[in-house]
Amino acid sequence: MDRRKIDIVLSTVLIIVSVIIFTNDNLVEGGVESDLGSMFLPRIVAGMIMLFAATIAFQSFRKLASGSQPEGPEIILTDGFGGIFIYIGIFITYWLAVPWVGFMVATPFIMIAVALLLGGRNWVPILATSVITPVLIYYGSREFLRVYLPTWTL
Amino acid sequence: MFDNILSGFASILAIGPILGIIAGVIVGIIFGAIPGISAIMAIAIILPMTFYVDPIIGITMLLAVYKAGIYGGSISAILINTPGAAASFLTAQDGNALTKAGKAGKALDMSLFASVSGEMLATLVLILVAAPISLISLQAGPIEKVFLLLFAFTVIGSMAGESIPRGLLSCCLGMLFAMVGMSSITGAARFTFGYTELMGGFTFTPMLIGILVMPEVFNVIRRRKTPHHELAITQSPNPADNRLSFKEFRGVFKTILKSSGIGTFIGALPGLGSSTAAFIAYGEAKRTAKKPEEYGKGSVEGIAAAESANNAVCGSSMIPMLTLSIPGDDVAALLMGAFLIHGLTPGPMIFFEHTETIYAIFAGFLITDLFLLGIARSGFKFFVKMASLRRYYIFPCVTVFAFTGAFTAGQNMDDILVLIAFTIMGYGMRLVGLNPAVFIIGFILTPFLEQNLDQALSIVGTDYYRLFASPFSWVFIILSVFFVFSSMRMRQKTAPAPLQEKTA
Repeated sequence: MDRRKIDIVLSTVLIIVSVIIFTNDNLVEGGVESDLGSMFLPRIVAGMIMLFAATIAFQSFRKLASGSQPEGPEIILTDGFGGIFIYIGIFITYWLAVPWVGFMVATPFIMIAVALLLGGRNWVPILATSVITPVLIYYGSREFLRVYLPTWTL
Repeated sequence: MFDNILSGFASILAIGPILGIIAGVIVGIIFGAIPGISAIMAIAIILPMTFYVDPIIGITMLLAVYKAGIYGGSISAILINTPGAAASFLTAQDGNALTKAGKAGKALDMSLFASVSGEMLATLVLILVAAPISLISLQAGPIEKVFLLLFAFTVIGSMAGESIPRGLLSCCLGMLFAMVGMSSITGAARFTFGYTELMGGFTFTPMLIGILVMPEVFNVIRRRKTPHHELAITQSPNPADNRLSFKEFRGVFKTILKSSGIGTFIGALPGLGSSTAAFIAYGEAKRTAKKPEEYGKGSVEGIAAAESANNAVCGSSMIPMLTLSIPGDDVAALLMGAFLIHGLTPGPMIFFEHTETIYAIFAGFLITDLFLLGIARSGFKFFVKMASLRRYYIFPCVTVFAFTGAFTAGQNMDDILVLIAFTIMGYGMRLVGLNPAVFIIGFILTPFLEQNLDQALSIVGTDYYRLFASPFSWVFIILSVFFVFSSMRMRQKTAPAPLQEKTA
């Protein structure tokens, strides 16, 4: 994947967002009067974002227009991305499942899923780790940190 | 100061802090030695566990993880030529050549002694220099602080990014995200879009873990089909090859001192980091070496130079953070976050408001070196075995620790959503060449900038020219311009062959 094309798209998005910050007064609600004002610094930062995003977009556009091939960090290798999407899916499932089935129930399944994704096939140690780790974390958090991880609510 | 140091030792020599240091050293070495896990990842995972303990225990534990993690990176670099960080690249060159020659024990010993020596020297400089610098920086008012912070943003953004616009853009994005939520000055809700959950801004810990740690897990998942390398210490039949003699250590001691000095100096400058220190010290050691041709092919002196400089950065990177509130690199930014979470605001006032705590932390820093030496020396085989664990045992645990760490911060499931969102954003930033560490630094420093800017404007009223009346303002403006200019020059020199050369 050619990063220079992404640069142009991303810079355009950032410039649009910055223009909105610059021009929209509804992004701030309430507050008292001050010397600085609530939107002074955000607008300064938005201006800087516009400047740097435009610089990056211009540099990338110039290279694309000259027809040069992407080199070094300009090439984004996409192999192995499938695994990342699966991992994000596993993590979102974890986030959705924990409030319902609790930390102790959800975690072993998630650990097994991640281990499988990473190519683990040694079932006995993987199962043992997946059961022992959440138990240790749950009781360790409760007893030492006073953090109560979510429990079964169904 | 001497009294403060003694009282610091008295505070640290208790069961809690010592156990914290021991745990930190063990965790740090193991995490550092596992290829794919860096010291910063170890600190971010351990950070939530320190929330509920005394700051002296919590911070010294994190610092122990940091120091031991940096050293641990050299184990995998030496044994399997897999540097955990760019700073260990040179150690990997010489160390792995020694491992192949059956002298892994000698390389590991040299790396350990050089690391500890470099760290100790830098820590001593930190202790001696930090308080006097803080006295000077106390003279700075809000106007000077505004220019100091702008200087910090400019230097870190221009030095640390892939290119100057990308570095500065990363910093600006961090600043923008820091302004989400209720303004600490006006009480106004900014960028909340009616969501009350956003009134408090983004929770720091999940964001930190998401931006800095989880993208590393993504990288491991992408490379999941590459074969697993088991770490093993090669043994030579000649016992002298398996250890470092005192004579050999004495022979490289001058190099260690010089490289530690270089590392300490570079670490104290924001934005340069341990890789720069290691490369400069290695180059200098090679330039003055009796046998420069051995460098890169198994030179013990090369390991000493790279490791002592690399580790000296640990201590000295705390100098700008503790005296000027400027974190010099990503780990310092993370540690600054840890200080803030523990109610300690890094800056000159820390030496007056939390004298006992800060000197206890300094004492802990020194004691950590001794524990690192003892624990690492006696447990090489154990750490090598632990670091050889397959990734399908390690990364499911990292996932659960990241989840628990994000939840622990506010005991709120919304923070997990913050973690997921910033994980994707952090990985995306890496792909497009934006620097996540600079983003974090921008995020941390923006509230200080806004507060000081507001106070500065209150002081000058409508006479804006008074902002430039202080000589400090001009010094920082000139320094900012100088750093940007020198960064541009440096990048031009190190840039690959220009376009016209190819078309010619």
